[in-house]
Amino acid sequence: MSATLPEVRNAEASAAVDELSTYKWGFATDIEQDFAPKGLSEDTVRFISAKKNEPEWMLEWRLKAYRLWLTMPMPDWAKLRIPPIDYQDAYYYAAPRTKPTLASLDELDPEIRRTYEKLGIPIEEQKVLAGVEGARKVAVDAVFDSVSVATTFREELKRAGVIFLSISEAIREYPDLIRKHLGSVVPVRDNYFACLNAAVFSDGTFVLVPKGVRCPMELSTYFRINAENTGQFERTLIVAEEGAYVSYLEGCTAPMRDENQLHAAVVELVAEADAEIKYSTVQNWYPGDKDGKGGIYNFVTKRALCRGARSKVSWTQVETGSAITWKYPSCVLAGEDSVGEFYSVAVTNNYQQADTGTKMIHLGKGTKSTIISKGISAGKSDNSYRGLVRVGPSAEGARNFTQCDSLLIGDQSGAHTIPYIEVKNPSAQIEHEATTSKISEDQKFYAMQRGLSDEEAVALIVNGFCKEVLQQLPMEFAVEAQKLLGISLEGSVG
Amino acid sequence: MTRLPTRHDEEWRWADLRHADAFAGTPAPANDSLPDAEPHWLDLPGERRLFAAGHAIDRATETPEADPQAPQHPLADLARVAATAGTRIALADGEDGGTVQILHIGTTGSAHGVTRLMLGAGARLTLIESFADDDHDHWLNHRLDAELGAGASLTRIVRLRTSHGLVSERAYVTLGPDARFTQLAVASANGSARSEVLVRHDGAGAHADVNGILLGDGAAALDALTRLEHRVPDTTSGQVWRLVAAGKSQLSVSGGVNVARHAQKTDAEQSLKALVLKRTASANLKPELEIFADDVKCAHGCTVGELDRAGLFYLQSRGIPPHEAEALLTRAFVADALSAIADPALREALDTETRLWLEQRT
Repeated sequence: MSATLPEVRNAEASAAVDELSTYKWGFATDIEQDFAPKGLSEDTVRFISAKKNEPEWMLEWRLKAYRLWLTMPMPDWAKLRIPPIDYQDAYYYAAPRTKPTLASLDELDPEIRRTYEKLGIPIEEQKVLAGVEGARKVAVDAVFDSVSVATTFREELKRAGVIFLSISEAIREYPDLIRKHLGSVVPVRDNYFACLNAAVFSDGTFVLVPKGVRCPMELSTYFRINAENTGQFERTLIVAEEGAYVSYLEGCTAPMRDENQLHAAVVELVAEADAEIKYSTVQNWYPGDKDGKGGIYNFVTKRALCRGARSKVSWTQVETGSAITWKYPSCVLAGEDSVGEFYSVAVTNNYQQADTGTKMIHLGKGTKSTIISKGISAGKSDNSYRGLVRVGPSAEGARNFTQCDSLLIGDQSGAHTIPYIEVKNPSAQIEHEATTSKISEDQKFYAMQRGLSDEEAVALIVNGFCKEVLQQLPMEFAVEAQKLLGISLEGSVG
Repeated sequence: MTRLPTRHDEEWRWADLRHADAFAGTPAPANDSLPDAEPHWLDLPGERRLFAAGHAIDRATETPEADPQAPQHPLADLARVAATAGTRIALADGEDGGTVQILHIGTTGSAHGVTRLMLGAGARLTLIESFADDDHDHWLNHRLDAELGAGASLTRIVRLRTSHGLVSERAYVTLGPDARFTQLAVASANGSARSEVLVRHDGAGAHADVNGILLGDGAAALDALTRLEHRVPDTTSGQVWRLVAAGKSQLSVSGGVNVARHAQKTDAEQSLKALVLKRTASANLKPELEIFADDVKCAHGCTVGELDRAGLFYLQSRGIPPHEAEALLTRAFVADALSAIADPALREALDTETRLWLEQRT
């Protein structure tokens, strides 16, 4: 009998891992890490900054943020029930990895194991994700995306002149660039969580694509060595100079467990004239159990500045995880004829809560934006789309098209739409449509009489509902995201 | 006294409450010279009641009890506490209350009032409430509490015609089984206005149409907020709002639909559209949906833009001067909101009013 495809894939992955174990880029460097004591104070901030050998100005920046954060109230306008967060009861630097080490995959929660298998994740990668003892510490994608990627990507990027570093390295190596751009899109005082992030961000990514360069590959955090545990306060800064292009992937379809309950990341994108940035996210943090216990709080500030004429930023997100999601990837369309896009699928099940959407701020002439949002609520979850489209007086001929569709599965969940439209220019054309529906019995009957099970039928219909968004994702991501949607909704029907 | 809301309060982000702040502590003095009410009446048969600076004219003053079930609200609560006069209409089962016009004229300072309606099963009433002023800065604050019994029908027209100051009015309406509530707010003001309505569908088969036309010029700040709560299965609602922003006006509508858990088969539609005529003017729209039941039909559509160029070109190619073509298309644009008014005479009167306003601006 010939080997099945997963078996072949596993064999390939194992071979790649063996090969990698002798390759210097393959390892995550095993630095003896000490960590800051529990709690948040100026000392914590100083400690983080000192650990990272940051220059004085960076420390000042962090401290300023910390002092400001102390004066800010936590926002309460979202349709979310956020339990009180004890900021003193958390680690802010190199929290010890409390992930238990398993002797073999057999010890893994069968539930998670099943999910891995459904996603088609190779055995070796499963070991890395689950923290099995002896599993090679390698950047995840390097395992199955073959050695060539890991070995050649740095060379190739270097040749193209693309800077792709951890933000800590970038602060040391390119202080001028960081000083120029860090906080230029999401200022320190922007909001409570962004301010907290500015004070204590642990690490993150810096990308600069120079003038006229089309980044030769899709960048993903995995490709960066040591990206394994970028931590709860991630900071990402991507700058695309004139005419540059970059596609950036973040996240992963495999369920990610993390002891840090609060995640407050900041992502800043800057697009100069004729530049294009495509930012794709698949978020599948631990959503808590069936009774709503545990789970990650994901409070993210993502914003893009389309500074140059004809620049373009496209956000695509598939959000299936986290107990609470508070996230509004936005575009400030300052350059003439600049374009902002937002494609989103947000799935909530059990007791998950999501309040997510986008802001499109039209400032330049002829700016255009498109918003496609698909919300799916199942179980006892609440899923809100919250969006703002603002047209300034100078945004002559601005255009926006927004479509928000909600799909309800079962009669215990909630779907909410809260769009804000603010227009100060007569020539603007803004269109907004929203619908709410459920999976009709007819649709399901049709799929099932073709031999699909109840759950398969729902997964198929849901995938159709999300098609416009999923097709924006890079190919491999799209396939995994489709499977992920089905898995996220398991147990919600019947 | 309850704290007055500010723009930091989410539901008041587009409201202009400067005059409320200014006049909250200064009640309007009892008036000796009667303001000219004549231009503010709609030319329709029926009973007329006039209030100036919060006092009844030519009739005994009564201050009706507000509905004790009404939810708390900063301005409506203030109206209940500080009301100096009001109107109470109670209709027995099957009674036809005809058409009643109530005109409130603000002078200086603040004036608060209450209207209380109780419609028995199958009762009918058309109520036209108009708010105007005598060219002085002021604050008129009003609340209306209405209970509609099974199969009762209420048509309410709210005319906001202030040239100065602020009018804030809030209606709280509860609908029994198969009750029908039709409201049209027509604001053609250069001052500020806040119009709020909360409708609770408490009986199956209840239907509400909550429509509005906001016409803003000068420094007008007109702000409307609707909340249609579908609390039981098989209820329906429609909302059609048309905004025309000229001058330096700011027009805002925050339209809300809430569908409670188990309120299956709800059918709620919202259509919010705005025309911005000048670069100095602005329009804000927020069509909000909050849905907790799965077998519902809730859709909203929302557009902001200028007049359709193809339509303008077509009319001009037929020999209609640009100016008239614009007026014609704008009139058609606002007409959608009028269509819910069943009474042809009433609809005609309101259509004429909006047409005259538009002809002066476009």
